[in-house]
Amino acid sequence: MSITTTLLLTLCLILLPRARAEADLVVVVNARNGIERLTLDSVINIFMGRYRQLPSGIPAQPVDQPDGRPEKARFYRLLVNKDLAEINAYWARLIFSGRTSPPYQAKSTAEILDRLARQPGAIAYIERNQADPRVRIVLELEH
Amino acid sequence: MRTFGRHSILVRSAVMLLGSFFLAGAVTISISLAFTSARQHQAATDRLNRLLDTVESTVRIACFVQDEKLADEVAQGLLKNKEVQSVTISSEDGRARRLLSDSRHGLITSGLRLAREVRSPFNAEKVIGRIQVDANTTAIADDIHDEVRFITLEIIGQLVLIALTVVAVMLVFIVRPIKAMSDGLHRMDATKGERLAVPRNHANSEIGRLVHDINGLAGNLVDTLDQERTLRLDKEVEEKKYHSIFENAETGIFIVDQAENLPSWNPAFALLLGIPTNEVYQGTLNIRQLPWENASRIVEMALNCRLDNIGLSDDLAIRLRNGSRRWLSVVLTPVGEDLLQGVVHDVTEHKEAEASARRLSVTDALTGMANRLGLEEELQAMLRDPLIAQTGGFALVLADLDNFRRINEGFGLPTGDAILRGAATRLGRCVKGSDTLARLTDDRFALILQSVTGSEEAGRIAERILASIRKPFPVDDAQIQIHASLGITLYPKDGADIPGLLRNAELALDRAKTMGGNGFVFFDPALTEAAEQRRHQENDLRQAIQNREFRLYFQPIVDLADNRLAGAEALIRWLQPEQGLIPPDAFIPLAEKIGLIDEIGLWVLDAACAQLAGWQAQGLDRYLSVNISAHQIPDGLPPAALADAVRRHGVDPARMALEITEGVLLADVNKALTWIEAAHGLGFRIYLDDFGTGYSSLSYLKRFPVDTIKVDKSFVGDMGEDGGDRTLVEAVVAMARSLGMSVVAEGVETAGQLDLLRAMNCRYGQGYYFSRPVPAEQFEAAAVRIDKMLAGRVEAPA
Repeated sequence: MSITTTLLLTLCLILLPRARAEADLVVVVNARNGIERLTLDSVINIFMGRYRQLPSGIPAQPVDQPDGRPEKARFYRLLVNKDLAEINAYWARLIFSGRTSPPYQAKSTAEILDRLARQPGAIAYIERNQADPRVRIVLELEH
Repeated sequence: MRTFGRHSILVRSAVMLLGSFFLAGAVTISISLAFTSARQHQAATDRLNRLLDTVESTVRIACFVQDEKLADEVAQGLLKNKEVQSVTISSEDGRARRLLSDSRHGLITSGLRLAREVRSPFNAEKVIGRIQVDANTTAIADDIHDEVRFITLEIIGQLVLIALTVVAVMLVFIVRPIKAMSDGLHRMDATKGERLAVPRNHANSEIGRLVHDINGLAGNLVDTLDQERTLRLDKEVEEKKYHSIFENAETGIFIVDQAENLPSWNPAFALLLGIPTNEVYQGTLNIRQLPWENASRIVEMALNCRLDNIGLSDDLAIRLRNGSRRWLSVVLTPVGEDLLQGVVHDVTEHKEAEASARRLSVTDALTGMANRLGLEEELQAMLRDPLIAQTGGFALVLADLDNFRRINEGFGLPTGDAILRGAATRLGRCVKGSDTLARLTDDRFALILQSVTGSEEAGRIAERILASIRKPFPVDDAQIQIHASLGITLYPKDGADIPGLLRNAELALDRAKTMGGNGFVFFDPALTEAAEQRRHQENDLRQAIQNREFRLYFQPIVDLADNRLAGAEALIRWLQPEQGLIPPDAFIPLAEKIGLIDEIGLWVLDAACAQLAGWQAQGLDRYLSVNISAHQIPDGLPPAALADAVRRHGVDPARMALEITEGVLLADVNKALTWIEAAHGLGFRIYLDDFGTGYSSLSYLKRFPVDTIKVDKSFVGDMGEDGGDRTLVEAVVAMARSLGMSVVAEGVETAGQLDLLRAMNCRYGQGYYFSRPVPAEQFEAAAVRIDKMLAGRVEAPA
């Protein structure tokens, strides 16, 4: 393989996932906890603090992407059609009562995947191509 | 100043204003209250809604996550608003409902509750909870109360201001001027010319016009009042005047009402009727109670007066208490309203005078018998009497004293009257007391012989009457004998009515007279026929004058001394177309009776003058004599007419002789004398005709200027056989000669008579011996023959 070709391939690799990531965000859970699919409402209830329990009875532990990651903004836009400021304002009101709290915010995608693997109740959102066998896609967020 | 009473305009207006303002205020405030309340509720609702809006997103979140604490916080926040009384927040997730917060202040007091669904913050379609807020209505009510009180105060203030303004305006512009006018009117005496003053500043306002109108009205009223007063005064004066007339009139005046009662009468009436004055009866006096002799008459009068609505008058008798009988003239006149006015005069004197006149009118003053009127009334009464048929009728006798005029002339009227009275007395003795005697004219009496129906009985009575009258009447020292003629009619045989009876009786009397008097004649239809004939003759005679049917015949008169024709006597003949020649005896008396003699006499004079003029023209020395009827003297043939006739024909009056009879001298001696002297003075010759048949009074011959005497033919004709007559003629001739008069012997028929006359020295002769009367055209022949006869003693024609 030539350098040119390599460069071209690298470019393609760099550019392609980006294009695909914009298209596909998926909600994933621990592959072993037996859940096959979740409804959008269920995902909203879990992430927005209404019910923190999975259908199988396991307490749900939602995980957010780190701040600054485009996936986070895209996710809330797709999920409840709100921007992050609005999401933050929402949580600001609930923080003082202490009855519920915002999802745990991971420091990286790796940590998200790690938590997914480790915690049976973990639920997070990632790009489709970041999914690995440890996780199971329960909802595909698309336009 | 009067105060404003309960009924003054001001008080009424104020009360009305306050009432209406109170009502308006109450309504306005009620409406304001309702509006304000509604508005306040709405405003509260809006505020609460806005409040809920501010917490909506938080509540959504709290419900979404079912966060009780957050919900409580929201509720407490809301409750800080004082209008919020309670807040309830609950969540629901389709299966269950959960109360998140229920906070409140005290008890819920009102029904103002706001409830809202809470939707998911992430899905607006999904209901996840509910928030309910109860408003604090006490606070709202307080607000409403405050606002309403403010409005109320404001309205009251405005209304009071308006009311005060209106009252003030009314006081100033209406009440004060009206009050001023009212006070002015109270003080004003319009009759003295005072008038209301126009209130200040109201010259052109309605008040000003009202004042002008009131003043105008006052003026009119005062004028009307003045007129009324004048009229009333006039009327009072008028009434006083009429009352005075009514009271003082000498005529009785009374009023009769519908019930025939007399509501009023005047003193004169009371006096006339002998009743008290008005006041005593008070209108209860009935007209029948008055002392009428026959009350039904006045009642009937009143009835007719009412029925026909016309005034009626009558003379009614009353009998006064003192028994005297008075006659009243009563005039009843309807005066309206079913009243009659009566006017009463005492006409007793009038009535008595009338009755007296009435008695006189039917009484003959001289004899005290009935007169012609009285006789006719008696006859009428008898003809009306239904008993006349049973008694079978009566006889009506007319009696006339023969030649009574001569008594008057000869002895004077007192003697005549004495004889008339004596005759009346004798007539009275000849009839029954029940018979009627009447004097009709001078010497004509009438007798009604009751129950005399047969001519025999009537004849006996007639004989008795004639005999009674025939007895001499002793007058002064003389005994005067007089006869009567009677004409008798029998009712009903000779006439069914009064004029017929009287006429027929007169016809019978005339017949008795013409038969020489001193007898009686029963009426006979032939008398009527004769009268009828006479009437025809009268008509014919009148026609004759118009148709010139008269002719003059001339009979020669011979001068026996000179043996020559001296002249002629003109004799009238009537050449009647049907009957031929009629001698004067047959129509002259009739002409005298009906007054035609004057006209005929004038014609005779004229015709004779014409004939004489003819002779004069021929140079014949003849005279002509004409007969003058006693009736022509003096007025039928006045001396002026004589003079006129001779002048017209140019004849010498000395050749014209006027033959008068002694009858002329019987009528009125003085008038006759005057006429004769006048005629003689004109130059006419006066012949006294028919001498010897009448009175042949020598005194007449001496008193009258008679030129010639004509001896009647009856004496001349008897001369040959009767020595007495011859002597008489001789005496007449001798007497005439001694008085310087000539004599004409009439009726000379024989030579012997002629010789005797010549022997007596009678100057003139006339008769058939010489010639019958001949028409003018034959006269000359007769004259020639007479001349021959006188010359040669030729025998006269037979």
